[in-house]
Amino acid sequence: MPSRHARLAVLAAAVAFLWGASALAQETAVVRVKLIQGDVPTDPLAPVWNTTPATEFPMSPQVHWPKRILQVTVKSIKVRGVHNTKQIAFLLEYADPTQDPADAAALEFMVGDKKAHFAHGQPMAQVEGGPVNIWYWRNDTPGAADMNAKGFGTLKKQAQQDVQARGVWKDEKTKVRFKERKLILRKDAKGEPAKDPKTGEPLFDEETKVVEQDATGVWHVVFTRALTTTDPNDAQFQLGTFPNIAFAVWDGKKLESGDLKESGSQKAVTSWWYFNAEPPTNYSIYLYGLIAVVVAAGVEYVIIRKVRKGQPA
Amino acid sequence: MKGAVLLVAVFVVFKFGAPLVTAPLPMSLIWLYLFLTTVGIVVYGTLSSESTEALLGPIFRFLSGEGLNGAAKFARLAVLMLVPLLVGWETYSDLVPSSQPPAENRTIHPAPPGEFVGLANPVPNTPENVMMGKGLYAAFCSPCHGPKFNGNGPSSDGFNPPPANFVDSGTIAQLQESYLFWRIKKGGVGLSVEGHPWKSAMPRWEVELPDEWIWKIIMAEYAGSGHKPRTWE
Ligand code: HEC
Repeated sequence: MPSRHARLAVLAAAVAFLWGASALAQETAVVRVKLIQGDVPTDPLAPVWNTTPATEFPMSPQVHWPKRILQVTVKSIKVRGVHNTKQIAFLLEYADPTQDPADAAALEFMVGDKKAHFAHGQPMAQVEGGPVNIWYWRNDTPGAADMNAKGFGTLKKQAQQDVQARGVWKDEKTKVRFKERKLILRKDAKGEPAKDPKTGEPLFDEETKVVEQDATGVWHVVFTRALTTTDPNDAQFQLGTFPNIAFAVWDGKKLESGDLKESGSQKAVTSWWYFNAEPPTNYSIYLYGLIAVVVAAGVEYVIIRKVRKGQPA
Repeated sequence: MKGAVLLVAVFVVFKFGAPLVTAPLPMSLIWLYLFLTTVGIVVYGTLSSESTEALLGPIFRFLSGEGLNGAAKFARLAVLMLVPLLVGWETYSDLVPSSQPPAENRTIHPAPPGEFVGLANPVPNTPENVMMGKGLYAAFCSPCHGPKFNGNGPSSDGFNPPPANFVDSGTIAQLQESYLFWRIKKGGVGLSVEGHPWKSAMPRWEVELPDEWIWKIIMAEYAGSGHKPRTWE
């Protein structure tokens, strides 16, 4: 009964498909660094940014190592990138209601082929890791700091400075998307707080939803550098590859106590994501595709002739 | 038909049967079993010569196009035209620079170092100790792993991979207490070579928490997530 096999084949294909789909389920976010003609913009408000797609990354309060912080101002960051095969520029945009001298932002990259931990390249127990390259901008300091770290407390400015940065704060309206989480005490049938029958602890439910909030005040910060530099402490970028990138932002607002709201390790962070500097189009790929069509058609022709001549065993 | 019944049976056994005797299996493992079963069925179907003929005969008739007419004839033409186009498309998409980062298939549970194998929790499992563990969990772990132990903490969104969901059957329900002790003490930077790509934000708690606290937190994680530690007896 051939139909049985046909059904099986369909089933096998379906299983293989679902299998593949479940493997792909892990989400990846990539900053698409577009190839442009002419100079890369050093101006955060340059028109070219309007036609460059943004990738949005949620940010976490830095709770990985002390001193931690549990609440931060910046909940997500929009990142765009362009390059002209020589220079690369990243634009960070995020809502911050106040412009403060100590407002700051940073990009982080791995240096060399070894994996580096996103928390300042801290050493790993069983794996030999590499250092990180950090590009740092602060509102009250012109330009950028080109830095290196390999472990906590090792962050230092490099002898050779290769990065430029410029920030512009605009009193404009924007929308901020983030996940809002609420814990709600569970009530029993009588409207009393429900308790766990075993431990007597109060029970609560969790409500998570993505909210979009209006906000006023946006930082636009541009970092620029050559794709490759002569400094061995720097991250070097090849077109078409997927280097890792991580982000950090500080709201440098002065609190009534005189302390800064966020500074040092108290900041908004992400761990590693990716960027991809778009390579120039290579037209020979279309030709190879065409050749493949012709060859496949030829093979098909030969097989059919064989089958027609005599049914093989 | 028999094949389909077998597949459903395998699914039911692993999805609903397995949890009766051991920890529930993660979905990816069940898919693997289903996939292997399917391969088995196809191999079985092509074992004897009659069944091979049943599988291949129609294919040969289809290829030669003899005795086909109407819709079948049309379908044959369509397939014959589609195949080279597909091959061309495959070639093209193989050569075109990838628009997706290389897959980093994370080994979620690499083998622990020898000194962390088979350690027993030295802290007695009393309500007071579990309670204290829950307090420590709330202070140190819940920002990432969440007050409901499900990985949905208020500081979880910026981290990739995301903090582990202890309620899911694929995390601590699969593990022994000594394994958790290792992971909590050494954190993401303590992962072994198989544990790539070493992007974990899991802190290395040995620098901040004494061992006894860690053991109490482990009891709280199991109590709070509703799972039991895996044992090998
Ligand atoms: C900064 C966020 C963060 C904090 C805080 C944190 N974790 Fe984690 N944890 C993670 C991430 C991310 C993972 C997943 C990656 C991994 O396995 O390393 C993880 C994984 C784990 C795992 C491994 C689960 C498995 O299935 O392999 C355990 C156990 C764990 N955490 C326990 C804890 C405990 C206990 C605490 C508090 C003392 C804690 N974590 C605090 C981020 C965090």
